[in-house]
Amino acid sequence: MKRRVFLASAVIAGGVFALLPQGAKSSVKLELFKTLEVVQEVLFPKGLDAPAASEFGATAYLANVSSHSSFLASDLHFLKRGAQKLMDEHNDFLSLSFKKQEETLRDFTQSDLGRNWVAFVLYFTIEGLLADPIYGGNKNESGWKWLGHNAGQPRPKKPFAELLGAEV
Amino acid sequence: MIYDVCIVGTGAGASGVAHKLVKAGIDVVMLERGGFYQEKDFSKDEVAYCKREIVTPNLAESYHTIETFYNGEWTKTTTFKTESTYFNGNIVGGSSNFMSGYFHRLKPSDFKLKSTFGAIEGANVVDWVMDYDEMEPYFEEVERLVGVSGEVTEYKYHEPRSTKKFPYPALDEHPISAKIDEACKKLNYVPYKTPRAILSKTKGKRNNCYYSNYCGSYGCSSGAKGSARASLLQPLLNNKNLTIITHAFVKQLAEKNGKVTEAIYIDTKTKKEHHIKAKLFIVAGQAVESSRLLLNSKSKNFPNGLANNANQVGKNLLFSAGGIGSGQLDESSIPLKELMVEGLFVNRSLCDWYYYDDNGQNKGGIVDFLFEHANPMTKAVKQRFKDGELLWGKALQDRIVHKITKTKQLNFEVFNDWLPTDNCFVSVDKKYKDIYGVPVANIRIGAHKHDLVVGKFLAKKAENVLKAMGATDISSSISSAPPPNLQAGGCRFGDDPKTSVLNKYCQAHEVENLFVTDGSFMPTGGSVTYTWTIYANSFRVGDYIVNNRKEYAI
Repeated sequence: MKRRVFLASAVIAGGVFALLPQGAKSSVKLELFKTLEVVQEVLFPKGLDAPAASEFGATAYLANVSSHSSFLASDLHFLKRGAQKLMDEHNDFLSLSFKKQEETLRDFTQSDLGRNWVAFVLYFTIEGLLADPIYGGNKNESGWKWLGHNAGQPRPKKPFAELLGAEV
Repeated sequence: MIYDVCIVGTGAGASGVAHKLVKAGIDVVMLERGGFYQEKDFSKDEVAYCKREIVTPNLAESYHTIETFYNGEWTKTTTFKTESTYFNGNIVGGSSNFMSGYFHRLKPSDFKLKSTFGAIEGANVVDWVMDYDEMEPYFEEVERLVGVSGEVTEYKYHEPRSTKKFPYPALDEHPISAKIDEACKKLNYVPYKTPRAILSKTKGKRNNCYYSNYCGSYGCSSGAKGSARASLLQPLLNNKNLTIITHAFVKQLAEKNGKVTEAIYIDTKTKKEHHIKAKLFIVAGQAVESSRLLLNSKSKNFPNGLANNANQVGKNLLFSAGGIGSGQLDESSIPLKELMVEGLFVNRSLCDWYYYDDNGQNKGGIVDFLFEHANPMTKAVKQRFKDGELLWGKALQDRIVHKITKTKQLNFEVFNDWLPTDNCFVSVDKKYKDIYGVPVANIRIGAHKHDLVVGKFLAKKAENVLKAMGATDISSSISSAPPPNLQAGGCRFGDDPKTSVLNKYCQAHEVENLFVTDGSFMPTGGSVTYTWTIYANSFRVGDYIVNNRKEYAI
């Protein structure tokens, strides 16, 4: 199976969309990740020491792992479904102030779907915070540094446990 | 070409027998569903090894159906719906690559549960057709060849040993181990030093443990962990008698005139079908998948599946009963600097209640203590919910910082017998197929209520230790939900072909050139994890086949 390798060196400052893997660049997916980028920043804003979602690359991470074969199709479907519902109910969400976006999301979690979706996005936001930077998140090891975390050794040289060389 | 022996699987049950056969000059081909990872390939990548199906089949490729008793009836669901898997490491070496290697032997009474403790209504308990003394030399052989480190703890139920010591000294211990010892002393419990299938010293090309802090669920980068791959297969890679074919999913064993003639496998990369001929076939694909293969190998002589004319294949499947518990530790019970030491092992168990009195002599089990795995993502994502409330922003960030930098969770795992019942079995159902068109295994999971009684009894003892240590938020969860990685049974061995699939040497009663050497043979599982027993039995069967090789013209 051919797997897309997301180069850590490609994670550079700037908008996330340039970094999306090819598969994420269709218009539907672009809309999805635009929404997710805003939602993730609300869920994981800049703290006193904590890096913000935009700083550690939460959306780049999610765009990357969700285009890999190991990401369940049902999970991708759910990501889209929740984002669609949020935008259907609050079509001005992206242009609201941070405070209003926060309130809107709180309101959104009143429904089961909304709550499950926000928890789900948060799940992958935290993954992106603490995954090895090879996946496009945890930029400059900012998540690890925040928590004083010592990464397990050896660290991955390739993502998704791809073999390093030919099999025996 | 016709091989002497074809082995389906490369895990502990497959590799013990392979090791014996290859060493005896017998031509062996092993068929492995996944790839061949070696030390250099492994890393401590939480995403790949703990969060995604990379080393197990993608659930879109293959899955299981699970039957549970719900609202008065057996209800079937698929694992791709529940997003859980009953595959446990489909690479060379199998799930032994990803074990934590808490190694406990069975005890003499585990071989005669029925005659020692009597029948239990609703449970198909039987004695084994061999006793502990016959297995002991092989338990000992595992200590040397696979490598078991530790220090023998004397206590009243200790099983007999033919050697005084483990061949490798105990691994370095975390400061918390001394705290557990203190607590046990107060309670008058014996703190049992847990043996581990992890090398504390180098052995051949295998390096000693480097205390990476990431052991269970990860492949070992030093070769210290006693996986079947590192300990038994890699040392034989240059031996011309051993061939390992990877990415080979065996869908069927073909039979003619009462003998297996070939294994039919699909190359999962090319999707092409291949046939392997051999004189003798050994199935060891972990209990559920081994039963599935036999049940899917239907022929004129075996319309219900290979070696299944007595309808016993898949029956009396076992998991491990018990559950888990935990308590939170912080600087109120141990200096933070000591608590936060990384990498060293806890290595303490409670075995005082392997048997216990409760209006008579009962079979109990054991408890292993361990720190919550170091995985930062797993720890952090759990902080999203506090008393049912979904947290985010600063509240979540503060909680993550506290969890990861100020506390450690000491867990315990309870292991007791999963009693065999008529409602725990493997079957196949034509309606549910994998992407290769092969019916997947259906697993009916019915646990005996007695399992919970014993599990709860043991969990209380472990909770007492946590309390005495000053832990907070102590809780335990003993349930009938099975640990998918601890599988046995399904092809139990016995003397009577009407009630067992295999004979004493794990050879099918109905098919003389077929053996099953993973945990499937076990009629009862004992109150410990299965790996040591699976290794030992695999060596035993290997010796049997070598000693009787003329019968099979190999």
